[in-house]
Amino acid sequence: MAKGLKSVFLWSAVGLAALIALLFVAAAVVGFFSAEGSIDKDRAIVWVMAAFVTLIMIGAMVAGAAWMRSIDEAAREAHKAAWYWGGSGGMAVGGILLCLATLPQAGAMRIPSWLDGRTDPAAYAATGAFAMMLLMLIGYTVVWAWWWITRMRD
Amino acid sequence: MNNRLKVLRAERDWSQADLAHALGVSRQTVNALETGRYDPSLPLAFKIARVFGQPIEAIFTED
Repeated sequence: MAKGLKSVFLWSAVGLAALIALLFVAAAVVGFFSAEGSIDKDRAIVWVMAAFVTLIMIGAMVAGAAWMRSIDEAAREAHKAAWYWGGSGGMAVGGILLCLATLPQAGAMRIPSWLDGRTDPAAYAATGAFAMMLLMLIGYTVVWAWWWITRMRD
Repeated sequence: MNNRLKVLRAERDWSQADLAHALGVSRQTVNALETGRYDPSLPLAFKIARVFGQPIEAIFTED
């Protein structure tokens, strides 16, 4: 593994561990003050989680940028091709499902929820977002593998 | 684009890993370059030319 890549993994792990530790501290603080009755627990959990996932996403972007800089140009090209063609292909498949979901007839369909059986609007919105991301990820993986396989043959 | 990377590397008795190390890229990238299935960027082409001590046009030729 390249030195730069090792550094990206190391700092990502350190950052993630620090954020998880911070989350435990925040959870303890929320628990303490909600037990006292000075704050609303549910509202506090949403705010703490919003801050946590925001930091996770910023960290992911920073780690992604560092990782992109650590790999060589061919590896970067493979990821660019995978992002554009694989991601777009996956999104196109998801787009079909999205268009069908807008039909009035789709209202009678029974759509499974991926969030612990929840059927509220937020759960379905998250299910749709997860499904789109999954399709894009599948497309990304397929194109990335195809890019390298076609360039490894003699 | 065609190239003489494999020949030049063999003349020096270098492995793909040796060349990859000299260029600062992965062995897979060297393989993709040698098979002509990946064309290098201009900076990498200059680096290749420097490593082999030859002008770019002596290493890379048009199809």
